[in-house]
Amino acid sequence: MLKTQELTLNMGPQHPSTHGVFRCVLKLEGEYIRECVNHTGYLHRGLEKLAEARTYSQFIPYNGRLDYVSGMLNELSYVQTVEKLMGITEEIPERAQYLRIILGELQRLASHAIYVGTFALDMAGFTPFMYAFRDRDRMLDLIEAASGQRLMPNYMRIGGVAADLDEEWFKELEILMNDMPACIDEYDGILTGNEIMRARTIGVAPVSAEMALSYGFTGPNLRASGFDYDLRRDEPYGIYDRFKFDVPVRKDGDTYDRYCIRVAEMRESVKIIKQAMKDIPEGPIMAKVPKVIKPPVGEAFHRIENSKGHLGFHIVSDGSTKPYRTRIYSPCFVNLGFLPTTAKGLHLMDLVVALASIDIVLGEVDR
Amino acid sequence: MFGKGIFKGLKITIGHLFEKKVTQQYPEERPVLPARFKGSFDLNVAKCIACGLCSNACPNHVIKIESVKDENNKKKLTGYKMLAEQCLYCGFCVEVCPTKALQWNHDYERAKFFRDEVNLDLYAKYTPSPDDDKKDIPEKNVKPEEKQDESAKAS
Repeated sequence: MLKTQELTLNMGPQHPSTHGVFRCVLKLEGEYIRECVNHTGYLHRGLEKLAEARTYSQFIPYNGRLDYVSGMLNELSYVQTVEKLMGITEEIPERAQYLRIILGELQRLASHAIYVGTFALDMAGFTPFMYAFRDRDRMLDLIEAASGQRLMPNYMRIGGVAADLDEEWFKELEILMNDMPACIDEYDGILTGNEIMRARTIGVAPVSAEMALSYGFTGPNLRASGFDYDLRRDEPYGIYDRFKFDVPVRKDGDTYDRYCIRVAEMRESVKIIKQAMKDIPEGPIMAKVPKVIKPPVGEAFHRIENSKGHLGFHIVSDGSTKPYRTRIYSPCFVNLGFLPTTAKGLHLMDLVVALASIDIVLGEVDR
Repeated sequence: MFGKGIFKGLKITIGHLFEKKVTQQYPEERPVLPARFKGSFDLNVAKCIACGLCSNACPNHVIKIESVKDENNKKKLTGYKMLAEQCLYCGFCVEVCPTKALQWNHDYERAKFFRDEVNLDLYAKYTPSPDDDKKDIPEKNVKPEEKQDESAKAS
């Protein structure tokens, strides 16, 4: 008789495939996982507490530090929450609304490009990673030209946006948007049909619609499980109700479906940006807001469809210049909860793919 | 057919083999930076009115201003330090400046050997230029309108 022994393996926090500083302790039987325990908090900076010590507008640059690959969308969520709290949602100028949509969708494209690249990289496919980052770099160049920084844009303002964009910028954007479908076809061609990739992903770590709902999945992960819900279409914020786009839905909810849904969403984002570019009016980019922002006593919760799921802010105001409490509802943290259940019985190599497929960013998990 | 997907992928990569390279050879090849690029800071001391708006706008209390009042009860800048190691590079200070004395520059190679060297002393760094006195006079006339514009933007 062979003697077997349970092995405890520490994965992370310094592990390239944990996408940051996530750590999980695995109990292995051979190469199969018996138990998985999540440990988070290695990137905790106390952003919610920091918000209490800053004025409303001073907290905007910190949103880029949440999910550091989709800074624009985080800022949009925060800024719209404060606007809701102040009751000026209707007063935002048209041009600012369009600029918010264009830059938000551009950031979503950049975030999904990272997803496609790192998902392939976790399966040891290096070439798609390079292709995805090549295109992401062009999007970041545009964000840099608009705001001055690539990852922490600090572009959204309470009441509008920080700076207007000129014709030249829109020309660059148009070139990129015309190139994008071919680039997405490239990811599709190199990854989606690839037999190795299909063998590694199809049927791995499936999440049913019921399980996804009970675990609080949002965003692309929820839609991959077959639940058709997109805030941009179902509870439109900003001016999303003016655009025509499809919401891709898959049914199996395995890692392959979660990958496919991102590629499909990138195509939809290109569609939205093209429509917004056509319709954008001239005009002011800032509403008239007081210099010192003092929202009335009360509270507001607002959520948007971030690239990872629903990013929500709950702000409680006591009528002073600083928020009494700011709570950040992070989609990555919620999505990560599925790992201990799903990991049971998985192969060690499949765990890496399962973790990559839910698209976590540790800046937002730990906040 | 099994292997069809792999061949399709290989076809794409081979197509890229004969393309122009997209990689930038950084130290030899310098990047073209957009006008709004946030690098480091420049302060035009002659333009600065020591109003302190920049240090108030800063989320992290990075800017330390020292000033004295002269015989006309007008503030004069005597020191301007930036604790750049705590700076978020958000740009609120540049946005809020009523006389546009504080500006971004395109200096991005900011790595230093010692921690103290990271911090900026913009007052000491400034070299006076002959244009300083000329600019001072029209500045005062422009100031009130500019201040309004800035306040609308900065909020």
